[in-house]
Amino acid sequence: MNRRVLTNRILSHLALLPFIIFAVFPFYHMALTSLKQNRELYDRNAVPLLIVQGPTLEHYTKLLWETEFLNWTKNSLMVTVLATVISLVIGTVAAYALARLKFFAVGSLGTGIFVTYLVPTSLLFLPLAQVVNWLGLGDSKWALVVTYPTFLVPFCTWLLMGYFRTVPKEVEECAMVDGATRIQALWRIVLPIAVPGLVCAALFAFTLSWNEFIYALTFTSSSEQITASVGVTTELIRGDIYYWGSLMAGAVLASVPIVILYVFFLDYYVSGLTAGAIK
Amino acid sequence: MAIGSVGVVTASARPSLRARLSELLDRESWLGPIFVSPALVLLLLLVAYPFFMALYFSVSNAFIGRPSNFIGIRNFVRLWESDAFRQTFQNAFVFCGAAVGAKVVLGISLALLLNQQLWFKRMIRGAVLLPWVIPTALSTLGWSWMFNSLYSVVNWTLLAIGIIDPPGPNWLGQKYYAMAAVIIVNIWRGLPFFAITLLAGLVAIPKELYEAAEADGAGPIARFWYVTLPLLKGVLGIVVLFSTIFTFSEFNIIYVLTHGGPMNSTHLFATLARQVGLETGRIGEGAAISLYLFPALMIVVWAQLRFVRKQAY
Amino acid sequence: MSSLTRRQFTTTAGVGLAGVLATGIPPARGQQREISYLCWNNFAPASDKKLAEIGQRFTKDTGIKIKIDHINAEQQPAKYASEVQTQAGHDLVEMRMHFPWLYEPQLVDVSDIVADLEKKYGKAVSSAQETAKVKGIWRAVPQYHAMFVATYREDLFKKAGLKIPDTWEDLYVAGKELKKMGHPVGIPINQNLDSISTAGPILWSLGGMEVDKDGKTVRINSPQAAEMIEWYRKMFRDCMEPEVLSWDNASNNQSIQQGKAGWIHNPVSAYIVAKQMKLPTADTINHHRTPGGPNGRHETDAPRHIGIWKFSRNVEPSKEFVRYLLGRPETYNEYIMSGDAFNLPVYEKLQDHPVFKTDSKYAALKSEGVQYHAYGWPAPPSDKVQLITNSFILPIMLAKAVTGTSTKDAMAWAEGEMKKIIAG
Repeated sequence: MNRRVLTNRILSHLALLPFIIFAVFPFYHMALTSLKQNRELYDRNAVPLLIVQGPTLEHYTKLLWETEFLNWTKNSLMVTVLATVISLVIGTVAAYALARLKFFAVGSLGTGIFVTYLVPTSLLFLPLAQVVNWLGLGDSKWALVVTYPTFLVPFCTWLLMGYFRTVPKEVEECAMVDGATRIQALWRIVLPIAVPGLVCAALFAFTLSWNEFIYALTFTSSSEQITASVGVTTELIRGDIYYWGSLMAGAVLASVPIVILYVFFLDYYVSGLTAGAIK
Repeated sequence: MAIGSVGVVTASARPSLRARLSELLDRESWLGPIFVSPALVLLLLLVAYPFFMALYFSVSNAFIGRPSNFIGIRNFVRLWESDAFRQTFQNAFVFCGAAVGAKVVLGISLALLLNQQLWFKRMIRGAVLLPWVIPTALSTLGWSWMFNSLYSVVNWTLLAIGIIDPPGPNWLGQKYYAMAAVIIVNIWRGLPFFAITLLAGLVAIPKELYEAAEADGAGPIARFWYVTLPLLKGVLGIVVLFSTIFTFSEFNIIYVLTHGGPMNSTHLFATLARQVGLETGRIGEGAAISLYLFPALMIVVWAQLRFVRKQAY
Repeated sequence: MSSLTRRQFTTTAGVGLAGVLATGIPPARGQQREISYLCWNNFAPASDKKLAEIGQRFTKDTGIKIKIDHINAEQQPAKYASEVQTQAGHDLVEMRMHFPWLYEPQLVDVSDIVADLEKKYGKAVSSAQETAKVKGIWRAVPQYHAMFVATYREDLFKKAGLKIPDTWEDLYVAGKELKKMGHPVGIPINQNLDSISTAGPILWSLGGMEVDKDGKTVRINSPQAAEMIEWYRKMFRDCMEPEVLSWDNASNNQSIQQGKAGWIHNPVSAYIVAKQMKLPTADTINHHRTPGGPNGRHETDAPRHIGIWKFSRNVEPSKEFVRYLLGRPETYNEYIMSGDAFNLPVYEKLQDHPVFKTDSKYAALKSEGVQYHAYGWPAPPSDKVQLITNSFILPIMLAKAVTGTSTKDAMAWAEGEMKKIIAG
C-alpha cells in the first residue's frame, strides 16, 4: 500500500469518526442505562458515561422473566418477516413493470401507488381498523401481516424502480435476443444486477415494520398477539413511573440481533457487487 | 413468487396453451398490468376505503362514536384561526426543511465515506445503521432520557468537554433548543436510510466512468459533480421524496420528547391531529389537520416524480 | 350449583350461539360465555396481578370466562377510538376521568350497579360524580382514584425549621428557603397533564376558573387568574429553576427521588418507587395535603371507572363482573389493598380504609376537607372543555407569563384561544 493510499484511508476514517460517535453514542448510553443499578442510575451526581458502582443484569432478568418479552419478540419477528417478504415480491414485480414496461396508464399507476403513501397513518388507522375487523382479523397478529404491506409496497416499489432504472436496458435486450423470455430475463439478468437495491428495500421494509407502532397498538391487544414495542411500553411505563433500566434493556435486545443480520447482508451485497463490476 | 405461480399455471396447462401464454407474457401491454395488479389490488382493498373515509372525516363534523354531518371545508378554515395550528404549520416547515436538508448533505457525505476502502468495514457499517434499527418507540425514550433536565448526559458531556458553560441549555424547555433537539433526533434516526440507500446507488456506478473522468484530468470534486451526482440523482430524488414525507408526518419523536411544547413550539401535524382528533374525540378536525397539506404535497410529489422520471430516461 | 348449570346451559343455547352467528367467529373455547376487559396498566404491577387472580375466581364461581388486556394509559384514546369506530373489541373498558363524557353515546347505562354500590359504600366522591355521571345517567362505575398530594423532603423542612405549607402562599415562603438550600420546588409548567393538575387547584383556591359552570362562559381573564399568574411568576423566580419548563409527567418524581427537589405536587408514586428501588431519599420523603387558599382546598384526582360498550354482546355477564369486583366488600377490599395506595376507594363510607394505614406516610392521602375535581371544573367535562384541557392552554399561559409575556397579554391570549374553542 503506497503512502498516498494510506493517508487517504486514515483521513476517511477520521472523517467518519464524528458520524460514528453521533450514531453510536445514544445506543451506548442506552446500553449503559440498561446495565446500571437503580441506585447509580438515579444518582444525579454520578458520572453518566460510565458504570462506577458495578454493572447489574437485574433489568434484563426483569424484562426476560417477569414479562412476556420473548413472546412479543417472536410475534414481532413473525409479522416483520412475513410482511417484508410479501411486500418485496409484490413490490419487485410492480417496480419492474413500472420502470421497464410500456403499457396502458403506466405513469398514472406509478403515481397512484405513490400517493397512497401520502395519507398520514395518524388517522388512517381508524377506518383501516374497520377493514381489519371485516376481514375477521381483530386482535390478531395476522392483521399486521396484512396491513403492513400497505405502507411497505409503495416504498419497495418506488425504491426498486430507482434501482431497476440503473440497470442498462441493453443488458436485458441482449438476453432476449439470445432467446430468453422477458420473465427469464428479469429473473436471470435484471434481478441479480439489482440485488443491492433488493437488499436495500428488504432491509428498510424490515425496519419499517419492526418499528411500526400505531397499527400494532390498535389492531392487537392480548399479550399473545402484541409486538415487542407495544409490549415493552405497556409493561414498563406505568403512569408516571418509567422503568428506565428495563426499557433500555428492551431497546438493546430488540436491536442487536438485527444489526448483526444487517451487517452480514450489507457486507454480502456491497462486496459482491463491486467484485462483479470490476470483472 | 410471481414467477413461481406462473410456472404452476403453465405446467398444468397444455403445451399450445403454454406457448400462447408465454407469448402473451412477453408482450409488455399484458405483462405490465399483470405485474402491477397485486400491488394495485392490495392498495385498493386496504388503502382506498380508509383513505376516502379519512377524506370524508375531514369535511365533516365527525366525533368519535356519534353521527356526523357533511360541513364542507369549515374544518380547514376554522383551523386557521387557532394559534396552535398556525404555530404547527410553521413548525412543520422549519422542522422538515432543516431535518431533510441536513440529512441530504450528511447522507451524501456519509455514503461517500462508506464507499471508500475501510479497515473495519463491517463494524463501521453496523455502527452507522444502529439508529435505524432500534425500535423507534424505545429509542426516542432513550433520547428523552438523554435530554432529561436532571441527568442530561448531553449537557454533562458538553460541559465536560468545555463547549458550554454551566448550567447549559434547558433543551426541551426553551423554544429554539427544543426544536433543535427534535431535529437532531430526527437526523439521527433518518441518516442511515440516506447513507445506505445512497451507498447502494454509489456502488452501482461503474468504476470505468471514474477512470475515464480521471484520465480526462478531473479532480475529486469535478468527478463528484459530473459523474457521481448525475448518476445518483434518480435514487437521491426518491430518497428525498420518501424522507420528506416521513419527516413531515413525524410523530413519535415529538410525542415522546416534548408533547409539542414548550408553548406549542414543536407541534407537528401528526401530534396536533392526535391531540385534537383522538384525545378529544373530534376526528373530523383531526383528519383536517392531518390532511391539511395533502393538496400541496400532491403537487410537490407530482413535480418531483416527473423530475425523477426525466432523470431516468 | 344447580343455578350455575342452568346458567351455563342458557349460555350455550342462547348467547353463545347468537354470538357465533353474529360474528362468524366461534368462541375461543367450547361454548362458554366469554367477556373481555381492557384496562390500563396500573401504577402498581401487583394490582394487575390481583385483578387477573380475581378474574380467575370469577370464572370459577360463575362459569363466565374473562380475558383481561392491559394498555398504556397514554394509548387509551387511540385504542378506544378504534374500538368505537369498528364497533368491536372489548366488552368492558377502564375509563379515566372525563372518558364517560367523551364516549357517552357508546356506553351502557350502569346506574343500577352504582345505586347498589352507593347503598353499600356511601355516595361516590365528588369527582366521580362529575365525571362518570353524564347528564344524570351513570355511564361508568367508579372504582378507585389516585390524587395529587404534596410530596416534600421532611428532613430538609426540619433542618431549616420550615412550616408545612397550609396555603400556596406558605409554599412560596418555604420554597424560597428550599431553593437557597439547593433543593428547589418542582412544579412543571409544560404541555402535560401534571402541569394542569397543579395549576387547576391553585386557580380554584383563589376562586378562579377557566370556564364557568354553564360550560360556555370563559372566565380566564379575571383578577383571580392574574393572581395565580403572579404567584407562578414569583415561584418561578424565587423557588424553582427553569428546568420546570421542560418537564414531563415523570420529571418531578425523578427530581425528588434523586434528592434535588424539596417539594413537589404529585400522586404518591414518587415515594413508592423510591421505596421499591431502595433509593436513599425514600426515608426522607413524606406527604401532606395539597395547600389551599382563600377559596378553600382543592385537589385534582384521576378517578377511574369501568364502562361497558353498547356494542358488547355480553352486557349482562359484563355487569356481573363489575358487581363481582366492586360490589362484594371483601373482593373490592382485596383489590384496593393490592394497589399500594395508588388505588384509593372512591366511596364515602370507605374513606377510613385500612389502605391508608399501610404506611404512616399515607396519612395525608385521607385529605380531610379537600374537594376533588377533574380538569376544567366547574365546567362539565364536555368535549369542548376537554379540548381546552388537552390543548394545554392553562400551562401555556403560565409558561408565557414566566418567560416574559405580561400578565394581561398572557390572559388575553388564553381567553382568545378558549373562546375560539367554545365557539367552534
